[in-house]
Amino acid sequence: MITSAHNSFSRWTPAWFLAPALAITAAIVLVPAVQTIWLSLHDYLLYEPDAATFIGLRNFAAILQDEVFWISLGHSAIWIVGVVGLQFLLGLGTALLLNQSFWWRGFARALVVVPWALPSVIIGLMWTWMYDFNVGVLNDMLVRTGIIDAPIAWLARPDLALPSIMAALIWQGFPFFAITILAGLQTIPSELYEAAEIDGANRGQMLRHITLPSIADVIATALLLRTIWVANSLDVILVMTGGGPGYATHTLPLYSFVRAYNSMEFGYGAALALILTLLLLTVVWLYVRRASRDLDR
Amino acid sequence: MKDRRTKTRRFLEVELPVLAILVFALAPYIWMVLTSIKPQAELSLWPVRYLPENATLDHYRELISRTSFAGNLLNSFIIAAGAAILGLAVSIPAAYAFSRFRFRGRRMLMTGFLVINMFPVVLLIIPLFVLMKNLALLDTFLGVILGHSTFAIPFAIWMLTSYFNAIPKDLDEAAMIDGATRVQTIRLIVLPLVAPGVVTAGIYIFITSWNEYLFAMMLSGQSVRTVTVALQLFIGEFTIQWGLLTAGGTLIALPVTILFLLVQRRLVGGLTAGAVKS
Amino acid sequence: MERRDFLKLSAAAALAAPLARPAIAQTPATVRWWYHFDNPQNTPAALVAKFEAENPGIKIQAEAIPWGGGNDYQTRLFAALVAGNGPDAAMVRLSWAARLAAMKALEPIDSMIGGWAGRSDIPDNIWKINKGADGKQYYLPLQYVVIYLYYRPDLFQQAGIQPPKTFDEFLAAAKALTKGDMAGFGMRGGAGGFDNWGPFVIGGGASFEKGGMVSEKALAANRWYVGLARDAKVTPASAPTDSFRQIVDAFKAGRTAMIMHHVGSANEIVGALGDKVSAVPVPRAADGRGWTYFGDESNAVFAASKAKEAAFKWIAFLSTADNNIELNKLTGQLPITTSGAAKWTGHPKRFVDASQASLPIAGSLPDHPKTPDFIARIWPTNMQRALNGEISPDDMMKAIEQHFNG
Repeated sequence: MITSAHNSFSRWTPAWFLAPALAITAAIVLVPAVQTIWLSLHDYLLYEPDAATFIGLRNFAAILQDEVFWISLGHSAIWIVGVVGLQFLLGLGTALLLNQSFWWRGFARALVVVPWALPSVIIGLMWTWMYDFNVGVLNDMLVRTGIIDAPIAWLARPDLALPSIMAALIWQGFPFFAITILAGLQTIPSELYEAAEIDGANRGQMLRHITLPSIADVIATALLLRTIWVANSLDVILVMTGGGPGYATHTLPLYSFVRAYNSMEFGYGAALALILTLLLLTVVWLYVRRASRDLDR
Repeated sequence: MKDRRTKTRRFLEVELPVLAILVFALAPYIWMVLTSIKPQAELSLWPVRYLPENATLDHYRELISRTSFAGNLLNSFIIAAGAAILGLAVSIPAAYAFSRFRFRGRRMLMTGFLVINMFPVVLLIIPLFVLMKNLALLDTFLGVILGHSTFAIPFAIWMLTSYFNAIPKDLDEAAMIDGATRVQTIRLIVLPLVAPGVVTAGIYIFITSWNEYLFAMMLSGQSVRTVTVALQLFIGEFTIQWGLLTAGGTLIALPVTILFLLVQRRLVGGLTAGAVKS
Repeated sequence: MERRDFLKLSAAAALAAPLARPAIAQTPATVRWWYHFDNPQNTPAALVAKFEAENPGIKIQAEAIPWGGGNDYQTRLFAALVAGNGPDAAMVRLSWAARLAAMKALEPIDSMIGGWAGRSDIPDNIWKINKGADGKQYYLPLQYVVIYLYYRPDLFQQAGIQPPKTFDEFLAAAKALTKGDMAGFGMRGGAGGFDNWGPFVIGGGASFEKGGMVSEKALAANRWYVGLARDAKVTPASAPTDSFRQIVDAFKAGRTAMIMHHVGSANEIVGALGDKVSAVPVPRAADGRGWTYFGDESNAVFAASKAKEAAFKWIAFLSTADNNIELNKLTGQLPITTSGAAKWTGHPKRFVDASQASLPIAGSLPDHPKTPDFIARIWPTNMQRALNGEISPDDMMKAIEQHFNG
């Protein structure tokens, strides 16, 4: 566990470095989280707290029989892959461009964060309004330019509702990737590029052999954190369609929210949330194992 | 890297694509700005009217004078700055430990911090509300800041660990062999090198806290109400105050954008990688 | 950990807390009151000042809570009640009554109402609608709205037709007015749309009693309603997710000829359409039966309050004729008192008349803990699936029957 250069530190040093973060996190999150896990084993209605009964794993058994759970799970998969993937690609492209030198670069870097600087409530409402069938600017522009003949009910069609909301979320989140990757790009030594240039490498080769490997760690972490965040995000969906039409925009956290707050079935909602957490945990565990193998070298 | 492209090529390969991305990034915002300067009668017309016929700043005037928006902006600023400071203060040492030390339970702890981030906050909120009530932290800045640390700390630790990892370990080891203490090494060698990462994590926390609604709604009352909660008040049961809402939305993005305009230089200047290798 | 921890934790805290609040109302009592107004520019400050001047011993701490489609307000209120941190009084809805009763969160106010002079100024049928399931009175009515039909008199005149009185006339009018960019009926299939569906389906013979949603009449009425969108095609394509914002915007923009909403949007619509909008009660079934949604708003005093008398004084003050008028100017709804209604000038008269003419057929949803879930989840998902053809209209009714009586 200790490499030769590290033997100077006492075994308690890491503990001191970690103590404040651990203390705050444990106090603020751990207690509520443990309570929620406990709740998932109960038939618990928020408005009938005295009638709560311990039912073991029966909430989880019921969830596996629940058609809406499976629909939501499928949508969650599309949602995570689509949103994170496109946010990343768009963000990577933006970061590479904003890392070039041109005279208004500082200005462009600041403006690109605007979508990210807006609260989800505003984003949901603005995009709903832009998508509006009757008075929306998007339909108006597409009809005026002749791209479509008649307005489209973007949020009311089961086939279009989810992609439409995903577009709003991709728009909101790509600046995160752009900024994070941009910061990572700053850490690449310019000597590497100079040496490669002397060796006659072209831009594409430099991107593939120098840029991307150098920022791989930052990209992986950003992807991981963003996946978790996107997997759990539901406020834009809630504002734009509330999960509808039908179940067309139900994702797991949304369904969990709906059951916990509309139906006030906290036990069932907590169980749904836990399943989502467990699924994410698998992804994270695989990632951490790979990452720590790299780091432990 | 020296850019040997001609001006025209750079325009076509860099500036034009950047411009396209900015149009995509800003179009909805610009639509919001345009809406915010339209008088009530010109909202929701058919066919859609793009530019206001009689541009007006009435909505902004009402927003500042007749609602508590200005005070809410200040509250949001205090909370977002507080969350960023608290988050960074506890996360920098923790990330350093994860990056530089190898100890038992390291992997488990790191995963633990992520797991916390994975739990849908909507289900934590009621137990958290009870907890804050018992700590007498409801409707205080500290209460909301602590609430926001639930996402700020795990995120910052992970992000910073990966930035710390990008700095070669030989560097701080060399400094310590030269007689610097560990704290000196961190302060004088590692932190300046990792500054872009610290700034990025700080911005992330600031922005996420600035935009956060659910914790702010539950944990704040009238005295520390944030802008996101104030904006929600414009969305009534039967009417949406579009003018006020878009004016508020326009203003809410400005502090973050200006902040970013100021700190983006740090992203560039923070680390000259030559120093790492030589 | 025990499952009733929430309550135990809060009970412990509640025992520690009274130090902060004097138990006896000798010293000034403070009443925390939660409210939501549609326009944040309106504050109840003037009413509070007037009340405090009349009642020197009482201080009112009024707090605006975001409505958030009803969800945020409800969540905040229930969380606060669970944590033992609730207000003394708050604006509440009838549809939450069963849940609040199950929590034993409400204070019966019968005896206090008995000694209140304003009691007789509120119509008897409103008291009846607001009575608790156990026969006690918990809610003090504050204001109301009733769903009616907005229509465009200019378009009706052009087409040579009268505002519809029956379902058949409604369908005929909607068909006649649907052409080009115009849809005859701006149906609300999104959040809260049960108030558009109720007049046709409950009015058409469905009920919340056991079997009431799957009777032959009920199924036929629902088929007819879904058919407005799927067969007659008199609604915009966006109907499945349109909520009040979308239906009102489309109506204001002249893209729909009829919508069903209430007086709360009257001033906004008149601002856009002027004389080219009027209102009538919702159409009725061929047998003369009808139903429309009574949108209630009351105040309640909470059982955990330490200042119940003072809290009641405040909510009674708000439901007294002139104060009630002032309050409704802030909320945009209709005064609850008979004397207040007579003097009301907050909306153009034709909309107030349409509201009052609708009262005889106005009803509320069942006083059942599952009602909020019906409004927010069961109705919208099943309606939307039926409108998009994913399930049959009959399956939709079976799902509702299952929810209440399964």
